[in-house]
Amino acid sequence: MDVVATKLYRWERRPLRHLDPVLLISVLALGIVGLITIYSATHASLVAQEIDPGYFLKKQLAFVTLGIVVILVAASFDYRFIKVYAGIIYVASMALLVLVRTPLGTNIRGSQRWFQLFGFQLAPSELAKLALVAMLAAFLSQLRSSDLSLPDLYRATAIAAVPGFLVFLQPDLGTSIVLMAILVGVLVVAGARARHLGVLALTAIVLTFGALQLGLVKDYQIARLTAFFDPQNDPQRSDYNRTQAEIAIGSGGLLGRGYLKGTQTNLDFVPEQHTDFIFTVIGEEFGFIGAIFVLMLFALLIWRAVRIALLAKDPFGTYLAAGIASMLAIQVFVNVGMTLGIMPITGIPLPFVSYGGSSFLTNCAAVGLLLNIHMRRLT
Amino acid sequence: MTEGRTGLRLKVLAALVAFMFAALTTRLWFLQVLAWDQYRDEAKQNSVRLLDVPAQRGRILDDDGNLLVKNRLSLVVTVNRQEAGSRLEDELYRLSKLLDVPADELASRVEDPRYYVFQPVPVEADVGKRIDFYISEHQRQFPGVTVIQEPVRVYPEGDLAAHVLGYLGQVNEEQLKQEAFADYRPGDEVGVTGVEAAYERFLRGTEGVVKYRVNSAGQNLGQFGEQQPIRGQDVVLTIDIKAQRIAEESLNLGLQYAHGIYDEDTGRDLAANGGAVVVMDPETGAIRALASAPSFDPSLFVRGMSTAEYERRFGAAESYPLLDRAIQGLYPPGSTYKPFVLLSALRRGIVSTADYYPCPPSWAVPEDPLHEVFHNWSTVDQGSISLAQALYDSCDTVFYPIGYEYWRRYYPPTDPPVEQIQRDLQAFGFGRLTDVDLPFEQRGRVPDAEWKSYVHKQYPKSFPDGQWFPGDFVNMSIGQGDTLVTPLQLAAAYSAIQNGGRACPPHVFDRTQEADGQVLHSWHARCPRIPFLQAQVEYVREALTQVPVQGTAASAFIGFPFSQVQVAGKTGTAQVFGQQDYSWFAAMTEAEGREYVVVALVEQGGHGSSTAAPIVRRVIEGLYGLTNTQFIYGGVTD
Repeated sequence: MDVVATKLYRWERRPLRHLDPVLLISVLALGIVGLITIYSATHASLVAQEIDPGYFLKKQLAFVTLGIVVILVAASFDYRFIKVYAGIIYVASMALLVLVRTPLGTNIRGSQRWFQLFGFQLAPSELAKLALVAMLAAFLSQLRSSDLSLPDLYRATAIAAVPGFLVFLQPDLGTSIVLMAILVGVLVVAGARARHLGVLALTAIVLTFGALQLGLVKDYQIARLTAFFDPQNDPQRSDYNRTQAEIAIGSGGLLGRGYLKGTQTNLDFVPEQHTDFIFTVIGEEFGFIGAIFVLMLFALLIWRAVRIALLAKDPFGTYLAAGIASMLAIQVFVNVGMTLGIMPITGIPLPFVSYGGSSFLTNCAAVGLLLNIHMRRLT
Repeated sequence: MTEGRTGLRLKVLAALVAFMFAALTTRLWFLQVLAWDQYRDEAKQNSVRLLDVPAQRGRILDDDGNLLVKNRLSLVVTVNRQEAGSRLEDELYRLSKLLDVPADELASRVEDPRYYVFQPVPVEADVGKRIDFYISEHQRQFPGVTVIQEPVRVYPEGDLAAHVLGYLGQVNEEQLKQEAFADYRPGDEVGVTGVEAAYERFLRGTEGVVKYRVNSAGQNLGQFGEQQPIRGQDVVLTIDIKAQRIAEESLNLGLQYAHGIYDEDTGRDLAANGGAVVVMDPETGAIRALASAPSFDPSLFVRGMSTAEYERRFGAAESYPLLDRAIQGLYPPGSTYKPFVLLSALRRGIVSTADYYPCPPSWAVPEDPLHEVFHNWSTVDQGSISLAQALYDSCDTVFYPIGYEYWRRYYPPTDPPVEQIQRDLQAFGFGRLTDVDLPFEQRGRVPDAEWKSYVHKQYPKSFPDGQWFPGDFVNMSIGQGDTLVTPLQLAAAYSAIQNGGRACPPHVFDRTQEADGQVLHSWHARCPRIPFLQAQVEYVREALTQVPVQGTAASAFIGFPFSQVQVAGKTGTAQVFGQQDYSWFAAMTEAEGREYVVVALVEQGGHGSSTAAPIVRRVIEGLYGLTNTQFIYGGVTD
């Protein structure tokens, strides 16, 4: 009996038994939503160019398949190894952020963000998000006190500021925002006092103004931001994207205009629609019902992430999961908010839905880590 | 790590996330549910373009179905001044060589005041395909120049009936504000004068629309709906091109002929600078011909025209050819007025057909301390004559006392004043619009005491007298003084004599029809009776038959076959201050069951018998297919 009990106990504690199916299903569902909408967003213009209308769909399908592999890989090893190597991962990631600014990196549309590797584009800023989550989790989990002291808060902020600044220089305002949101999310969970977070916010505002004054922000970024704050008064028409996105979503109505029937989508009115503005396809073709459904999937995903943070066996797991939850939540909020006209246009893709490998695989890795923490909560 | 505090902090994080989702949901609700219709419309506007397809304008035909105005596609060179910018001058120079039109001329056409600076101005119509190709191949040399194919009006009969037909122009700002032009846009063509303007609503048709989809780059992705334009209706006129041609030819011949007549009063040949002929069916008011000289070529308006060119072609030096003298020219009627004065006098019991009246060489107002003398046109004392003879010999001195009798009835003025002659003349249509279906008609003038004091107050210099005198009635009795009529008014009034006392509004419109001839709208004639005894009207008509036979027009009608065509008429020699006399003749004819009233007027054409009567004779000969006689000098009778 004893042997049996032990065997059962071992079986009970085997990590694979503790997959989070809800998390997996929500991610898979989002991926499928992505495939469906990417086809809708791209087929018409591909047909017009006499290219296979399924071109982007097929590529994304490959990313989804690869993503599942990435999830499995990220879930397979014990996440606590990451705590050990967090420093190395962090430093390596910072090095890549610096390297991408050298001629090794590729400049696309005015942003030096990518490495060109074997026909793929690798964005080190994507890696930097995960590296930051890992580094913050590792740093905060080793602190003894249950409340966060001000010096520790500054240290944590410094850890986030380095990639934040490097990414900001690329320039990639969106990823900087995500990095800062990760910091705030993790700090909240780590017990930072509201007063301290307030001081941090104030510092951020001062730095932002400084950056504007020193001309560190590109003109087009200022144009986009001012267009957001005062869309009527924009001579450059840089709010065109925003207006077209709002029209697309607004015209969807309650039930949507039907799959492949959105005129804003099929007639190419919304720019970058298969990537940053993918949510407009959902809004136009599936309406309020469809948009809420997709938001529910994200809510489910983030709820599972927060739940995993709560269930995690150790503070490192908690911070890791909380950081990932913050990362996903801010991306959804900034991206969807941008298409709805309540957030500035920053070029953040919608997790798991937008076309593109880098972001999809990074988010898959994050989900893999969540699964990892969930599976090993008992061991 | 299931410590309570961490749980609480995670709840704070969850609350932040929940707040974000709530914000997104609220915004989605607003965009997709509350503001949905607005965005739906915007999406539609985004992806749908409407292209107007102009309707083909209706044609204009004469009563036999002969085309007077039709359409043709023409290659038109247009210049957009704004797009040409500073290169306009070079460009016009190049165009000048290409089109073989002097550069100055092109420059003045481009400055057409009817177009805004941002609108393309047509500078030359009917260019060849070669020019179209050349310009499109060398577009860089011609910024803002476009060759467009557009329908233009064609006038198969040239300048025939130009005043009746009218011409097209761009719809103006005033019109665009009006309800009737609600579906017009700046740049649309619209009838400016004549039938083109009067029957714009039938001729224009209904614009069609093609809906097509566009993508964000504005590329046409195909048509998905259309509304065919509805062709404008053809307008069939009462005008008869044969009658019109005869009227215009005769008028022009008459003018030429008059240029060779020496005028004793002024010591110069007659200026005869303009004139009009009206041919009307007295039974219906249908106008068979309406000529005004000088005339103009309506096809000139197909292209742009500078103010200077406009002035040169249509200004004072050319005697204002755009003026339609038949309906817009105001002239004292002279003796052509007498039949109506006489009918009034008979109606009011001032004279009687049974009595005889003296016709001395002159007459003075009794009791007039100044003893102002009014002369007859002739110095011969005719003795006592009948009223009929007073008409056909046009004896002024029979009419003066009639005019004076109206004064006696008027004075002292009562309220309301006794102005019987004015009321009767107005009953014949004088001093009021005939309501002819052509734009810009003038109403003429039947003066009375109230009018006289009013214009005196308004224009004391031009009208130094504000008081109504016996002389005003006396002058009115022979169609002088402040009396003014249009040739058409006179024709309408003679129609009432010819048809036994009915006032038929003159008109050029007969019907509208589809291209296949199916009739859509037709004219409904209504000719109300006017209050004159038929016997008296008949008496006057009978008296007028003697005018071409033994009266004032006898020499102009020498040799005329009265047995074939019955002609009654009246000459008129109207005095206009500072000018040579204006020549009138009004005739009523009857033969082969066809009746006509023919009125001719020649400005500074001398006596009615010398210029207008021969014109009318020639018109009548033409109308009934008689052989045209040589132009006969009609003498200097009234």
